[in-house]
Amino acid sequence: MSDSQFESIISQIISDTPSGEIKQVYEDLITIAGENSKETVLDAIEQYNIKNLIPIEVDGKSVVLSRYNREGSKFFDPASSISFNVDHLNREGFDIQPFQSTQLNQVQEDLLKNLQKYAEKNFPGYLTTSIYPIPEESNKIVLSIVSMKYNPSNFWNGHWRSEYIFDSNFNKLKGSIDVQVHYYEDGNVSFKSSETFDLDDITDVIKTIAVKEKEFEENLDTSFSQLNETQFKSLRRRLPITRSRVNWGKAIGTYRLGKDAAQGK
Amino acid sequence: MSTEQAYDAALDLLRRLDPRKLKEHVQNLIQLEPSLAEDLLSSVDTPLIVKRDPKASQREYLCCDYNRDIDSHRSPWSNEYFPELSAEDVQESPFPSKNLRQLEILANDSFDIYRDLYYEGGVSSVYLWELDDEELSDDFAGVVLFKNGDKTSNAWDSIHVLEAVREGTDVTYRITTTVILHLDNGKQMTLSGNLSRQTEKTLAVPPSSSTSVEQVHVAHITNLGTIIEDVESQMRTMLESVYFEKTRDIFHHTRNSTSGNEEMSSDVHQELMKGLQSL
Repeated sequence: MSDSQFESIISQIISDTPSGEIKQVYEDLITIAGENSKETVLDAIEQYNIKNLIPIEVDGKSVVLSRYNREGSKFFDPASSISFNVDHLNREGFDIQPFQSTQLNQVQEDLLKNLQKYAEKNFPGYLTTSIYPIPEESNKIVLSIVSMKYNPSNFWNGHWRSEYIFDSNFNKLKGSIDVQVHYYEDGNVSFKSSETFDLDDITDVIKTIAVKEKEFEENLDTSFSQLNETQFKSLRRRLPITRSRVNWGKAIGTYRLGKDAAQGK
Repeated sequence: MSTEQAYDAALDLLRRLDPRKLKEHVQNLIQLEPSLAEDLLSSVDTPLIVKRDPKASQREYLCCDYNRDIDSHRSPWSNEYFPELSAEDVQESPFPSKNLRQLEILANDSFDIYRDLYYEGGVSSVYLWELDDEELSDDFAGVVLFKNGDKTSNAWDSIHVLEAVREGTDVTYRITTTVILHLDNGKQMTLSGNLSRQTEKTLAVPPSSSTSVEQVHVAHITNLGTIIEDVESQMRTMLESVYFEKTRDIFHHTRNSTSGNEEMSSDVHQELMKGLQSL
């Protein structure tokens, strides 16, 4: 197997991992592919963390990783004016240094406060919010909300992430919500849902996000019921149409006779 | 590194990675460690493949590792492998004994009626094989399969791997059931995965010395049918609760716009309780 094939397989496996189980998957991969594969697996985890907006602990504070707060091999947090290196497996920042080159202005700071206020009321998980200015486009900022709940002792975890780009010149808001739930007691059940938005004429960014996310949540609740009532029910009945259990044994053939008679065969 | 450790790690991985891509990940793991191939392919349940039997009016049958030989699968209807194997290969291919084939025919017929009653569509297949080489023993093993789905990606696959071991007039049935269920609402929402459970039950089957072979067969199918019907009912309830209640609950642990209201209502509740207690 070539190096690029190997990297591609590792990256496919890591990118399909629920966010609460990265460490176990890392251990499993090292057991299967050997210590030599460590670097490749860690590289894939770094890509994963950035793509999935994984929050890490820096000096007691939680910071979202994304491609918008990355500079070289380091990451930074404009809200607290620091930069740091990241241990991507353990989700920790280290080598913390002051960082001034990207900072939030007053408007952005106020927006972040409002985003936090909204998020605290609506996201009961382990919550991290962020606002990052986009370096080359001074009219654009990236807002994100990440809420996670990991419960390995009961074999489940859940992950919400939403990310929006707000363009203040044109009052446009573009974004997406991605949610994932994994339940793995006596099996492996995965729930996924996502939605993307492209909205114009935004007057209040946080309010718009709040409305869209509430709609998303309500639609999901409806979809759960609909999937149960329609798709699931049509795959297998709870009981036969006769409303009684099958009469096994020699006489089972009479069901077929009955059906043929009903169809006039 | 021992293969056993790698195998355990591989099974752990498959329990964690996206179940919708189970087949791809089995292949990925085999590429990483080729010695895993045989164990993984024979122990990991993946969605069943449907083939048609050209010698039974193109009737559909289900395929898995248990009815596979080389790249062909034995049909329960004609008892032949398709695509057809060379005469040389067929001599080496596994077939149930004449007596077990009679039981297999009865099983297929009975579970086909069961399938029609519960699934109102889909395909079923039963495959049986001898458990050991002893001629005298009437122990056997087998697999009972059901598949139902619509034109979109909604699908139910049940796989019951069973073992029937006799002791006197009793037979102990050990069954490992896996149901693979994929649901998709076509609007960017998917619920997919599998749940498993094991069942063991000991029931009476008259010994073939005291009764006709046919009656022994009917007793086996009555026992197996009753157990599998029970297990599938329990699994359906379990799937319903995990897919539609548990995952929704977990989702609301990350996002809940009514949590503020709930706190309020629990305050109201406490005040109400205080009010009642002071009465």
